[in-house]
Amino acid sequence: MVGPRFLARGDLDRLVGILAESGRTVVGPVVRDGAVAYEPIGDASDLPHGWTDAQAPGSYRLRRDGSRTFDVGPPAQGLKRWIFPPLAPLATAVRGTDGSSSFTAATPSAPPLALLGVRACEIAALRVQDRVLAEGPFVDEDYRARRDAALVVAAQCTRSCDTGFCASMGTGPEVTAGHDLVLAELDDGFVIDAGTSVGERVLDRLGLASATSAQTEAVAEGVASVRTAQGRPVVADGLRDRLMDQLDHPRWAEIADRCLACANCTMVCPTCFCTSIGLQSDLDGATTSLERRWDSCFTGDFARVAGGNFRPKRQDRYRQWLTHKFATWVDQFGTSGCVGCGRCITWCPVGIDVREELLAIAPPYEATLVELPVIAGSPGAYVPATVRSVTPETADCSTVLLDPGDDGLLAARPGQFVMVELPGFPPLPISVSRVADGALWLTIRAAGPATAAIIALRPGSQVGLRGPLGRGWPIERAIGRDVVVVAGGIGLAPVRPIVDAVLRDRDRFGRVLIAYGARTPADRLYRDELARWASAGVEVAEIVDRAGPEWLGQVGIVTQLLDQRDWTERPTAAFVVGPERMMQASVRTLVGAGVPPERLFVSLERHMECGIGLCGHCQLGPFFICRDGPVFSVDQLGDLFGREGL
Amino acid sequence: MHDGDTTTEAGGTEETTRYAVRQLTRVEGEGRLELSVRGGAVTEAHLEIFEAPRYFERLVVGRDGNEVIDIVARICGICPVAYQMSAVHAFERLYGVEVDPVVRSLRRLFYCGEWIESHALHIYLLHAPDFLGYPSAIELAADHREIVERGLRLKKLGNRIVAILGGRPIHPVSVRIGGFSRAPRLADLRVLQADLEAAIPDAVETVRWAASLVPPSYAREPRLVALRHPDEYPMNDGRIVSSDGIDVAPGDWTDAFSEHQVPWSNALQARARDGVPYLLGPTARVSLAGDRLHPLARAALASTGLGDELRTNVFRSIVARAVELLHALAEAAEVTGAYRPPGEPHVPWAPRAGVASWATEAPRGLLFHRYEVDERGLVRRAQIVPPTSQNQAAIEHDLAAFAPSVLELPHAQATHRLEQLIRSYDPCISCATHFLDLRVQGR
Amino acid sequence: MDVHEPARPRVGVVKLASCDGCQLTLLDLEDELLPIVGRFDLVEFPEATSNRSDGPYDVLLVEGSVSTSEQAAEIVDLRARTRMLVTIGACATAGGIQALRNAADEPAWRASVYPEPDFVRSLATATPIAEHVVVDAELRGCPIAPGQLLELLTALRVGRRPQLPVESVCQSCKRAGNVCVLVADGIPCLGPVTQAGCGALCPSFGRGCYACFGPREEANVASLHGWLHQLPVVDDPDRLFAGFTGWAPPFRERASRAVRAAEPATEEGTDA
Repeated sequence: MVGPRFLARGDLDRLVGILAESGRTVVGPVVRDGAVAYEPIGDASDLPHGWTDAQAPGSYRLRRDGSRTFDVGPPAQGLKRWIFPPLAPLATAVRGTDGSSSFTAATPSAPPLALLGVRACEIAALRVQDRVLAEGPFVDEDYRARRDAALVVAAQCTRSCDTGFCASMGTGPEVTAGHDLVLAELDDGFVIDAGTSVGERVLDRLGLASATSAQTEAVAEGVASVRTAQGRPVVADGLRDRLMDQLDHPRWAEIADRCLACANCTMVCPTCFCTSIGLQSDLDGATTSLERRWDSCFTGDFARVAGGNFRPKRQDRYRQWLTHKFATWVDQFGTSGCVGCGRCITWCPVGIDVREELLAIAPPYEATLVELPVIAGSPGAYVPATVRSVTPETADCSTVLLDPGDDGLLAARPGQFVMVELPGFPPLPISVSRVADGALWLTIRAAGPATAAIIALRPGSQVGLRGPLGRGWPIERAIGRDVVVVAGGIGLAPVRPIVDAVLRDRDRFGRVLIAYGARTPADRLYRDELARWASAGVEVAEIVDRAGPEWLGQVGIVTQLLDQRDWTERPTAAFVVGPERMMQASVRTLVGAGVPPERLFVSLERHMECGIGLCGHCQLGPFFICRDGPVFSVDQLGDLFGREGL
Repeated sequence: MHDGDTTTEAGGTEETTRYAVRQLTRVEGEGRLELSVRGGAVTEAHLEIFEAPRYFERLVVGRDGNEVIDIVARICGICPVAYQMSAVHAFERLYGVEVDPVVRSLRRLFYCGEWIESHALHIYLLHAPDFLGYPSAIELAADHREIVERGLRLKKLGNRIVAILGGRPIHPVSVRIGGFSRAPRLADLRVLQADLEAAIPDAVETVRWAASLVPPSYAREPRLVALRHPDEYPMNDGRIVSSDGIDVAPGDWTDAFSEHQVPWSNALQARARDGVPYLLGPTARVSLAGDRLHPLARAALASTGLGDELRTNVFRSIVARAVELLHALAEAAEVTGAYRPPGEPHVPWAPRAGVASWATEAPRGLLFHRYEVDERGLVRRAQIVPPTSQNQAAIEHDLAAFAPSVLELPHAQATHRLEQLIRSYDPCISCATHFLDLRVQGR
Repeated sequence: MDVHEPARPRVGVVKLASCDGCQLTLLDLEDELLPIVGRFDLVEFPEATSNRSDGPYDVLLVEGSVSTSEQAAEIVDLRARTRMLVTIGACATAGGIQALRNAADEPAWRASVYPEPDFVRSLATATPIAEHVVVDAELRGCPIAPGQLLELLTALRVGRRPQLPVESVCQSCKRAGNVCVLVADGIPCLGPVTQAGCGALCPSFGRGCYACFGPREEANVASLHGWLHQLPVVDDPDRLFAGFTGWAPPFRERASRAVRAAEPATEEGTDA
C-alpha cells in the first residue's frame, strides 16, 4: 500500500476514462430535471460541477453556487435502481396445447458498472442490501450478479447535506470500507485512495504523486465538519426496543393524518427491498412472464389476503414501515435498515421527517435470533409438475396430486408449503397436505380464479412448483406427549400430515385429540379419513356452524370442543390452523386449559409473493411468515399474535 | 329498435314517407337521421343529435388557460389535439407569446399525428365498409385482411406521433401555453422519422385505393371554408377563407359566421352571416389549399384524375382524406428529420385581460375557440365552435338534395344510402355537443 | 390448463355522456385488434360496426356517465341483459368532468345560459354508472390505459383476476426514475392521492398529475390539499381537485367548492 495520492481536477477525466474501459458503464451524479440523479456519464464534464442543493422536508432545490464537483447531497434516488432495478424478469411459463407446461427462470443480467461518487451512506445501503438479498439463506441471483459486476468509486462528504443523519446511524460521513477507490475533494483536486486491489491497479494506471499531509489533513477536517454540522438527531442506541415498546403510541394516528401512504419514502429508500410479482400473458394465457417489481408496504394490496387486509389503514402501514426500518430489521438482519441518507425526508411530498417522528415516539433511553430453514430456490425457479389426479373433497375443495419433476419437493415436511404457478395466473402459496405414493398432495379451495383454475386442471396438465418452503410443524416436540390438533375449515389440510405422522408411530405419542370445525356438514374435508382416524385410536371431535337435518353431531364453534378439558396434568403439544379469529379463540382456550405457549403451534396466513423472504409482503414484526413460519409457537409470537394492523 | 325504420302516414292528399336511422353507426357520438318526403319532395331533413350535452363552455369558466387546454381536449376523444391547438393558440395570441420556431414545427407534427390517426380511422374502419358492402371493418378484414391491416398500421403511426409528443394518443398531456411541458427526445424522433418514411408507400396506396372506390353519383357545388396560409398547408395558422370571398383573421370567425339553436338537436348549428351553409374538412382544404400540399400528396391527387368531382361529390371525401393522410405523413417525416431539441421547451408568459380567440384545422375542419379572460387569466366566458356543428347545415342541405335520387330504391337501401352520405362528412357528434353559447340568446 | 376453445364471449361496447375516447382505445389496440375480434364477438359497438344487438351480452363495456333520463333507463335495461358489466374511464367510474355540474345550482345555471332550455334533453346531474346499477369491474382513466384494457380482456379470456394496481401514481413515477416535480420544482401534483395506471405520464412529461385515474384507496386528500395550499404557484388548491374525477367522493368536497367559487362570473351577461 502506497497510501493516498493526489488527483488534479483536470485528471478526473482520465479516471473516468480508465473506469469506462472494457465496456464498463460509468454511473455518477448528473443534473437532470431539476435534481441530481445517478445516470451514465460520458466524461467528467457530465458531473454536477459547481452545483449544490438545498434539501428540506418535502423540498429539493438545485443551486448553481458551488465550485466543486461533489458538493451536492444524495441524488434523488439511490444506487438501488442500478443494482436492484425496479423491474426485473423472473421467469417465463409456457403452456403447450397438450396441457404440458414449461418454466424458464430468467438469466440474471449484470452489465459491468463503475459507480462513481458513492457516499458513505450509499455504501452502507449496499451492505444492508447485501445482507438481505445476497448473504442467504436465500439469494436474489440478479442482485448478486449486478453487485459483483459493479466497481465502487466513493466520494467523501465534505459538505453536510441538509436532511441526512448518517452520523447518527453510524454509517458516515466517512467512507471507511466497501469501496474500490475513494475520492475526497479539495479546491484544486482530489485525494484518492484505493480500498481493494482492483482500485490499486486503477491508481497505478493513473500514475499519481502521493498526497501531502496537508492535503490529507484538509480532507479529514472537511469530513469532521460534516459530522459536527449534522449533530445527532437520532439516537440509534436502544432504538429498537424503544420503538417496539411504543406500538400503541398516539403519535402513529397523528402521523397518519399527514402521511399520504404514497410510498415515496420506500421507493427512494436505498435499502427498502419489498417487491411484488407482476405477470403478463398473451391473450390466451399461453405464455406468461413473471417479473419482480418494486412494491411498498404502503400500498393497499400489499398485505391483502382473500379475507381482507392485515394493514388496512395508513396508520398501520406507516407503523409497519418505521418499525421495520428501525427495529425489526435488526431482529431479522442484525443491523438497522436505515443508513441515514435522509431521502425519505426530502422526497416525502408532505415533508414528514423521520428524525422528528422517532424523537416523538421513541425518545432516547436486544434481539431474538431467527433460525432459518435451508432450502434453495430463487423466486423464478419453478419446475414443472404433472397433475396425476384431481379429487373433489367438498363443493369447492379438491385434492390435487402432483408428480413433481424434482424429488426435492417430495421431501416436504408436514406444515411446509409450495409456490404453485399456473401459466396465466399469479403464483400461489399452497400447503402440502400429504406426501405419499411419490406425489405431492395439495388440497385447494376455489377461493378465487387462480385456485379455481388449478382444481379444474385435468390429469397430465402441468403446473410450476417451487419449494418446499417455510418451516413446518415441529412434530418432534410432541413425541411422548399428548397431541391436540385443532383445525377450522380448509385448515385440516395443513395439519393432516401431523395426523399421518402420529398414526405412523402411534406408540410414540400419548392421547390424541383432533378437534375439527367446519361451516356445514358438507364442508368437512376428508370425511372418510376422519372416520378412519377415529377407529385408529384417535379421538375425533367435530362441530359445524350450521347443521342440516342429517347432522347428529355438535353445532357451534370449534372452541366448544375444547371446553371442559384439562391438560394441566399431562404434557401436551397442540397444533392449530384456521381463520385468524378461530386460532386466537382456540389459543386462548388451550392456554387456559394448561397447554404451554412454547408447545402451542399455529400456522399463519399472510399475503405471500416470493415465498422465501425476499419480497417483504408477509412480514409480521421481526418475521417473514414465508421464511420464518408459517408455523410459529405462540410463545415465539408473543403479543404479535392476534394484534391488529401489523 | 336499432334498425332503420320507416313509417308511412296518410296526410292530406299525399303520403309522407319517413326515412329514419335511430342511431347512426360508425360515427363518433350519438345522432340520428330523420328525413320526410312528401310527393317526391323532401319536406324535412334533420341530422338529429341526441348525444348528451356536457356543458364544456361552462366548465372552463373560472379556469386558467392551461387548465382550459386539458379540459377542452375531453370534448372529443378522436381529435383532442385539435382542441388543444385552437385553445393554446388563442391564449398565446392574447398574451403575446412568441414560441420557439422548433415548438411551432412540433405543433404541426403533433397535428399531423392526429390527422393521420383520425383519417386512417375514418377511411379504413368507418367509411370503407360502405363502399365495399360490409357492416364493419371486422367483416372487411375477414375478406381483405391486408386492407384493414394497412389502415391499422397507418393509424398506429399517427397515434405514435401524438404519444411521443404528448404521452398518449388520446388526451395527451404536454401542450402548455408557451410550448410543450417537455420537448421530445432526439433519439425518439430519429426512430420515428425512419418509420414515417417507410410508411409513405402505404399512404400513397391509400390514395390510389380510395379513388378506386365507386361512389354513388351526386353533384353539388358547395361553399367551402378553410384556413389558408401563404406557405403552409392549413393547420395551425392562416386566414379563414371561403370559396366565395370570405376572408377573415383566424381569431375573427364571429365576424363572418354565427351559431343558431335548432329544436331537434343538442348541438348548435353554425351558418355564415348570409345564412348559406358551408362545408369544412378535407374536401374544403384540398380544394382551397391544394397548392400547399406536399409534392407527394399533390402528385398522388393528380394521379387520381378526379378533378371537380372531388369537390362536388361529397362521397369522394374519402379521397380528399387519403390525400391529406399522405400529406400529413410526408410533412411529419420532414419535421422529424429537421428536428433539433429547442433550448427551452416552453417560454415564460403572463396573463392579461381580453379576448383569446383562434381557429385551427381539426381533421374534420375548422375549429374555432373564443375565451373572454380576466386580468388573472381566468376564463369568464367561452365559445367553442367545432367543425361538425358547422357542417351540420351542409349535411342537412345535402340530405335534401341527395334524397330524391334514392327514392326509387327499396326502403332499407335508400336509408342506408342516406346514412352513408352522413358518414362521408366524418361527423364527430361528441364534438358537436358541448355547446353553450350565451350570445345566441337575443336571437 | 385445459383450454377447450370456448364460445366467443358476446361483447358490447356502448356509450353514454362522454367523448368516445375510451371506446376508441379498443380500436387503438392496433396490433391486437384483429386477434381480439377473433376471440371476442363484438356484437354491439355502434362506433365501429353497423351490426347491432340488443343482447344478451357476456361482457358490456360502458363508457360515459348518466346525464339524461333516457340514459338512466337505458343503463338499467342494459344491466338486465348483461352478465359482466365493466365501466371504462373516468366518466363511467366517477362521472367525468361533466359531473362537476352536480355541484352547481343546475336549474338556475341552465336557465341562465340556454336560449331554449327545453330543447335540451339533459338531467341536472351527470353520475357514475355504479350509482345506477351494479358494476362488476372498472377501468379507470381519462382515457383508460390501453394496456389495462388488454389486460382485462386477457384476464377474462384466461379466467383470472385482471392485474390492475391500486398503488399511487408516485410508485410508478419512482419506478420510472422520474424526479418528483412536486418536491424538486414545486409543481402541484396529485400523484400521491391518485391511482396508478397511466405510467406516471404527466410527471414523466415534466408536469403535475391531474388525477385522471381518480383517487386511490386511503387517499389522504386533506393532507395533500393543505401542503399544496402553501405552494407559491397554487392559486386555489380546490381547483386542482376539480378535474376529470372531481366528483369521486374523496375529491368531491373540494371540487364542489371550486365549482361554486366560479359561479358568480356566469351570473351576468346573457346579452353579450
